[in-house]
Amino acid sequence: MAPRVVVMGLASDFGCQVQMTNIEDDLLDVLGLIDLSYWQLASSGHMPAEYDVAIIEGAVTTTEHVELLKRVRATAGVVMVIGACAVTGGIPAMAGQGDLEERYGCVYGADGAEVACGRVSPAPVKSVIDVDYEVPGCPMDTTEFLRVLSRALQGLANRVPEEPMCAICKTKENICFLDKGEICLGLFTRTGCGARCVTLGRPCTGCRGLAKDANVESAMKILAAKGFDVDEVAERLAVFNTLEEAFCR
Amino acid sequence: MGRRYDEVSLITSRICGICSPNHALTSLKAIEAAFGIHVSERTTLMRKLLLYGSFLQNHATHLYLFAAPDFVGLPSVFPLAQTHPDVVDRALRIKKLGNDLTTLVGGRPVHPITAVVGGFTSEPDMGKLAAFRELLEEATNDAAQTVELFDAFEVDDLVTTGDMFALSASDDYAIYDGETTSLDHGWRRPVTEYRSVITEEVVGHSNAKHSTADGRPFMVGSLPRVNISGDRLGAKARAALDKSGFKIGSRNSFHNNLCQAVELVDVCERCIGYIDQLVDGGGSSVPVQFDVVAGSGVGSSEAPRGTLYHGYSFDADGRVTAGDIITPTAQNLANLEADMRVYAPGVAHLPEAEFLLAIERLVRAYDPCLSCSVH
Repeated sequence: MAPRVVVMGLASDFGCQVQMTNIEDDLLDVLGLIDLSYWQLASSGHMPAEYDVAIIEGAVTTTEHVELLKRVRATAGVVMVIGACAVTGGIPAMAGQGDLEERYGCVYGADGAEVACGRVSPAPVKSVIDVDYEVPGCPMDTTEFLRVLSRALQGLANRVPEEPMCAICKTKENICFLDKGEICLGLFTRTGCGARCVTLGRPCTGCRGLAKDANVESAMKILAAKGFDVDEVAERLAVFNTLEEAFCR
Repeated sequence: MGRRYDEVSLITSRICGICSPNHALTSLKAIEAAFGIHVSERTTLMRKLLLYGSFLQNHATHLYLFAAPDFVGLPSVFPLAQTHPDVVDRALRIKKLGNDLTTLVGGRPVHPITAVVGGFTSEPDMGKLAAFRELLEEATNDAAQTVELFDAFEVDDLVTTGDMFALSASDDYAIYDGETTSLDHGWRRPVTEYRSVITEEVVGHSNAKHSTADGRPFMVGSLPRVNISGDRLGAKARAALDKSGFKIGSRNSFHNNLCQAVELVDVCERCIGYIDQLVDGGGSSVPVQFDVVAGSGVGSSEAPRGTLYHGYSFDADGRVTAGDIITPTAQNLANLEADMRVYAPGVAHLPEAEFLLAIERLVRAYDPCLSCSVH
């Protein structure tokens, strides 16, 4: 029997589910291998009671999400999270820094007491349940998604690249932004994107999360020695990695 | 709040992965308005390609993947691929073309990389860009067939409650730039006045705020745009429109889908023109020099689902002190609910499943966007 797969979204911009629809050339082939029981973005059906693989996009932002994830973990043999929001908390996690209630008031005003109830400070899926496979990035890369999905379907181990982005960036022969006086987060960020942003002339924003192999302390020293303001580096790193506590100075 | 100006488009692009180029570029326009930056003609052309790539992708996805299954009585696109493979192929062709165009100019289909304050960090390969010409010619035919397909679908009669708003410009089918325009009242107002045109209020039953203007709901999107700027459509789009049963000035919200199809034709025609100008023309898209100054700015553009507004204030260090964004879906919600109240009694006699499908069809005519609606 083909594995039954469900795709669901928590708090996100749907960009990674859109990326799934962007696999035009391979989408129908992939669909031939699985029984896509539910896809929130693309069908008017409802979640089935049983399934084998759960693909989850988005950050946890409500008590409803927390309950849903517990049910999903109890049902699915494999949990796969896609995109920065689900993997690191991503941009939604920034809202949890400082006073969440004050931010809420800023958006909905004093009359807003009734709406957006049951809110929790935005967090990655791994903060609530165990996660088996991760596809990082904002948005996730479609090729990487297909690779991780096929590993998941075959029961192979999750293997996310853990070296910092700079390692790959050098092989692309890009001129280093740090030498041009611009902050780039390649020293911290896990690779696997092919240094796409730097190759197109834009410094790394850290969307793939912190690399396990990154030496954060030493990277900060290097940046300080090059004359960068380490507070600014930490602030920029926080856009996608505010909850990745590994970063310290 | 407190973020640096050069992080704004990076963050606001993530409001919506479905029309991310629109959010990215609209926020850039607001920042540029605040700092008094004028971008080059070449930058504007490349930005238009990014926006139109987003239109191709969004309209094709919505029309074929989400709306079309309704009209042939199927729950999703997957069984449609079995019963109407040629139709799904056409959809995927147009969608892929939009994605490929956005990727060539912006670096990837979702969350463009290259568009920054003042210009672009990288230029597309002109040979690759020129190759899009032929693909767009073919897509013009695909798009014209899409108009025929949706013209053949029967829609219920409905007269929408509210006004219709879209950006308009005297010399263009306004997408990248224009002034807020009312169909019913005929006025045009600069986008800098959007806060005094649109009133937003929190409602108890929804996380999204509802918008009204002069106490009335209003609709934004393809139908309002075609109604307001239909005489400025390209020749082929206009021909497809005239061949269809649609009459400019329609107040039937269900016609939004047909108008999306007409816009697909228009987008293909326009992109061919922009590509010719970029390939033949000179100029530079390298970000222009500018000074960071304290100030406020508003940016607006037409996103696939309607007018999008971004407004920001900055301190002298270029940090955000205030930000305000009104998305098309949020503007549409009050009018969609008003339409439901008008439409529901007429279909209330149907069995529950059919009744729900009829209501869902109305919702899908508006092409609401889940990710935008809650912001």
